[in-house]
Amino acid sequence: MSASIVPQLVKKDFRLMSRTIAMFSLISLVCIGILAALFGHVPTWMLLNLGFLLLVSPVGTCGIVILMKTNVFEKEKSTQPFIMSLPVTVREFTRAKLLVNLPLFGGLWLVISAVGFYFAFGLGLFPLSTVPFAAMIFLGGFVAYTVILCISLVFQSLGITVLSIAIAEMATSAYLSTIAYLDPIAHHVAGAQVVWNSAAITIAAAQVAVALFLIVATVFIQNMKRDFI
Amino acid sequence: MHLPMAIECRGISKSYPHFQLRDVDLSFEQGTVMGLVGPNGAGKSTILRIVMGLLGPESGSVKVLGYSMPDEQIAAKRNIGFVAEDMRLYESETIAFHMDFIKSIFDTWDDDYASLLLRRFDLNKNQKVKGLSHGQRVKATLLLALARRPSLLVFDEPTTGLDPAVRREVLDEMMNALEDETRSILFSSHNTLDVEQISDYITFVHGGRVLDSRNKEEFIDGWRRLRLTNANGAALPKLLNIKGVQQSGRLWAVIVNDYDDDVPAQFSGAGLEVNAVERLTLEEIFLANVNFAKANAQPELAS
Repeated sequence: MSASIVPQLVKKDFRLMSRTIAMFSLISLVCIGILAALFGHVPTWMLLNLGFLLLVSPVGTCGIVILMKTNVFEKEKSTQPFIMSLPVTVREFTRAKLLVNLPLFGGLWLVISAVGFYFAFGLGLFPLSTVPFAAMIFLGGFVAYTVILCISLVFQSLGITVLSIAIAEMATSAYLSTIAYLDPIAHHVAGAQVVWNSAAITIAAAQVAVALFLIVATVFIQNMKRDFI
Repeated sequence: MHLPMAIECRGISKSYPHFQLRDVDLSFEQGTVMGLVGPNGAGKSTILRIVMGLLGPESGSVKVLGYSMPDEQIAAKRNIGFVAEDMRLYESETIAFHMDFIKSIFDTWDDDYASLLLRRFDLNKNQKVKGLSHGQRVKATLLLALARRPSLLVFDEPTTGLDPAVRREVLDEMMNALEDETRSILFSSHNTLDVEQISDYITFVHGGRVLDSRNKEEFIDGWRRLRLTNANGAALPKLLNIKGVQQSGRLWAVIVNDYDDDVPAQFSGAGLEVNAVERLTLEEIFLANVNFAKANAQPELAS
């Protein structure tokens, strides 16, 4: 009788999001198809820009839509009293939301990262020396998403979540521009082979650490909450 | 026989920028119905949310079915069905989706009872929530709370905004739920008729405070209206239990609480002729309580 209902909450959210996931998966597949069709027929710079637009936009939008629907709208549309009247604590509610959103976005992000890497390096569009920087770009995108997710979990406010999206987008662009010009990174970008020097490893590890820290901090903050409605 | 307590709240307080719940005591035994009465903004919903573990009190203790809230809320909420006026279901999903979801959580879910409630409430389980009227939505949430067969039902304004026919259906089902003698109900309403019909105990809340909490008969029996004739311009006796006075020329109507048989004599002794002593309905008691509380709050506000 005392079993946690987190699995039921996660299953419920996956069922509620099934149409959204299917729609964005289809859009992503179409976008990958378009990129594949254009490959070799348009200049590299155009393919790079289109690649970002067609790969990142659908997955990023999907992640935001799902976190809005499963978390922010739970409060905005007053379904939260229904859920919180069930045998669940704030900690379990938070855990369920993390278990829905992180694997969903993480999975899709991993897929488009793999597709992006395949186009960029598998098909020889860019030199292998840019692999560390490309990895930082994709990791940076995941960290930006984690920031938005954690803020939306803590505040459950539409306004604050939208603001966090805008700030995270600007901050990510600024951050990536900065590291692109860092000497230990920039120096090897123009080279011929992959160089995972200490600066590249440190930056990548720091990105992972920031994402983990945000998740742990969110769980901690949620545990401290006395009111949850 | 001493029954175990359904709810025991002792000295609970909660502060908001424009509202304070102060030193609330509330308790009743299992198998009984407690009605919370009070005007809008009195603190009824806050009390119910604290009872449900959705809000944490700043002081005091809350025990629900013997479990300490909010620390033991998982165990407690396994045995509570909660319906609130502002509670919403997932609009894009059907009633059946919600029934399956609740069934997957509560092994006490009763399929036969759920089917019976669907018929009684005239609900189509394949209908999406966004297509339901307000009354149908309330009935659907009530079904989800009842079919899990909880020991305690907590209802926050369950009949607000319902037409008389649906209100009757909802109240009847609340009464049916009490056929199990161990089941208890705590509900809030500003509809005094509902409270008068089904409560065993009544708690009157105003301005974040419990003004009175008693057995219903005792609660209603404690109030009287005295019809008086004041021919000589006599002053009212200085009784602490006078809760309201209305004057129309020489005819006065005085509402008193904690009534006993000596009260008329005290008015007669002060030179007032007592023409009649009348019992009050809960609605009249509600209004007298609110007016008295408002009148007595003015000096506090001014200071």
